[in-house]
Amino acid sequence: MDLFIQTLINGLLLGGIYISVGIGFALVFGVLEVIDFAVGEYVMVGAFAGSVLAAGLGIDALFVVPLVFVAFYAIGFFVQPFLHHVTTSNVPMPILMALVFTFGVAFFARGGILTTFGPNTREVPTSIATGGVTVSAIGTFPVARVLTGIFGIVAVAAFLYYLYNTKGGLAIRAIAEDRTDARLMGINIARYQSVAYGMYAGLTATAGVFIGIIFAADPGMGMQYTAFAFFMVVLAGMGYLPGIIVSGLVLGVAQAMFSTYVSGAWVFFVLFALVYVVLLVSPQGILGRGEPVS
Amino acid sequence: MAKRNQRPAATSSQHRRRFLQVAGATGAAGLTGFAGCLGDFDEEQDDRDVFRFGAVTSLSGDLRFGGTITERGYDLWEQRINENGGIEIDGTSYEVEIEYADAQSEPSTGADAAEQMIDSGIDALFGPYSSNVTLAVAPIADREQIPHITGSAESPEIWEQQYEYTFGTIPAGNVIASESAGSIFDFQPQAESVYITGVNDPFTSDTAEAMREAAVDHGIEVLDYELFPRDADWTSPVSAAMDEDPDLHFHAAHIEAHVDFLNAARDLGYDPDGFFSHYGVDTESFAEGLGEDAAHIFGATVWLPRLDRGGDALFDSPQAYADASESAFDVTPDYTQAGSTAAGIVYQEALQELGAAPPLSSEQQSELVDILEEVEVETFYGDINFETDGDLYHSNVATDILTIQRTADGFDVVAPDELRESEPTYPAPAWDER
Repeated sequence: MDLFIQTLINGLLLGGIYISVGIGFALVFGVLEVIDFAVGEYVMVGAFAGSVLAAGLGIDALFVVPLVFVAFYAIGFFVQPFLHHVTTSNVPMPILMALVFTFGVAFFARGGILTTFGPNTREVPTSIATGGVTVSAIGTFPVARVLTGIFGIVAVAAFLYYLYNTKGGLAIRAIAEDRTDARLMGINIARYQSVAYGMYAGLTATAGVFIGIIFAADPGMGMQYTAFAFFMVVLAGMGYLPGIIVSGLVLGVAQAMFSTYVSGAWVFFVLFALVYVVLLVSPQGILGRGEPVS
Repeated sequence: MAKRNQRPAATSSQHRRRFLQVAGATGAAGLTGFAGCLGDFDEEQDDRDVFRFGAVTSLSGDLRFGGTITERGYDLWEQRINENGGIEIDGTSYEVEIEYADAQSEPSTGADAAEQMIDSGIDALFGPYSSNVTLAVAPIADREQIPHITGSAESPEIWEQQYEYTFGTIPAGNVIASESAGSIFDFQPQAESVYITGVNDPFTSDTAEAMREAAVDHGIEVLDYELFPRDADWTSPVSAAMDEDPDLHFHAAHIEAHVDFLNAARDLGYDPDGFFSHYGVDTESFAEGLGEDAAHIFGATVWLPRLDRGGDALFDSPQAYADASESAFDVTPDYTQAGSTAAGIVYQEALQELGAAPPLSSEQQSELVDILEEVEVETFYGDINFETDGDLYHSNVATDILTIQRTADGFDVVAPDELRESEPTYPAPAWDER
């Protein structure tokens, strides 16, 4: 029973990590209609930024989170116009071009980190978010994972609030609904797309700091988060942001339970199978609230 | 009226004639050039007074940093032996020359590069970085019958294939894991149980299997043995291990997965008497990834600059080698770089015994392989002697395996007894007491 509860805790907290990565990806997919292959590399670069800033400033990595968010918001804000140009200029298959563009960003980020810092794994130093809190008769809650889960859920809530309670959010929803109509309504498409991409980059890099605290910063860590971001969006239902919380928790708990009680070796196979079955049986996500498949 | 100097329009037969003239001239020039190339090649083959080596390693891609380590190792041998006048054959010294081909971290590219390198007429081949690329190059070396020594590949799979022309200076990973695991089982109070986890790839699964076999051989109960994908989350395996409460936990993985696993163990308060992983514990990456939490972890290596080992004609001692590396590259060498340089020293000894001036004929290359099978060389890296039978065919079986334990500011050798630098801290203190 103890092991079961601890495994459940592990799974829920793992889900929190996935939520923290998936929210930004779902946002940029829903608003910009771009599948961003660089999502995992934003996580990786964010982890390195956390490591370098915390070590350089001599402070706990948790305190560099706002700095990383602002820095990557700015980076995303300035990268988006290039992405916009690629997807709207007179080229054949703009969606494919966007994929190529984000692939390029991913390779550039990874190569840049490898060249600058080398292949070594680096600690993201913290003395606050370390160890675990044991609650008797329940289990142990690793502090860094708890904080990451809280960050993910707060990020989802804050972004939903922004989307549904502010003028900026209304503009972004209008763009996601119909770009042409939004432009005719006088919405500055380029500006709000840059805002959305900046938020995505900021949130994802910030998630990277938390993930770096839990594991470490490593140049090869990005790809798995890119894959999981895809899983999250598919399970959540395309364009349905609240579904990200459910899909993250489902992925985390399924992974933990299968790993403990069935087989560690087959765990990713089972997750792939889960996503595949959802695509076949309920293409609008596990909650059935995603965009219908046209 | 036609202009006076205007050319008449060409007829179709004129077009055809013109085409044949151009094609014929181009073909003749091409054939002449090709023949010229062949002529130069043969001439160069006949006339050269240097031993030409090819090295296929990863100079780009994910493995480029490892590839660069092997490159430094091979280059340091080339530099030092040429400074000493080269390899002496019947009173004449011949310098050595190493040409590199980039495997781009891909086995198939490495195989292509090896083919081209061999076609260019080299005398012998240095091996790639990583077992996967080595497994692609070794069959080419066998097919083309060219000697091939790798200074970095550790997977036992390479030696199980029994490639006749491929040798390796670094002992097989399963041998390293098994010997170190055995030394940890001898620590007091003696462990009664072990829990083994690992990453499911060729190198680490072989390592995990070797750990399990070592446990069985020592009469230690294996509470569980399970392999996981490379990017697995380790909290659930750690929780399952905590539930079994083993005396020791062995983990077979590369550095990133070690760091992830040990961070999960720390966060969940998992405290067996010792953690052991054979690979990477002596590296900066491991220390940087875990910070202060790296202390007390057990690992394994085969070479350290501070070891009290003998030397060879090029390097008096491990420290002399390290100094030479610092001087040449401003880098402290690791055992991969040292193993790569040692590969050159083995070639040097074997070529002197062969007594054939460059270029080597096919028969001489085969004779060189026969000599390599018998060679016993003392080097700054340790003794080198290749196995000639069984699952470790052509792997170096003479070098001592060292068990190490991380300390607050580095690591100490804790086994074998004759090389011990300090007593092991065993049982290791709990995470919250470190």
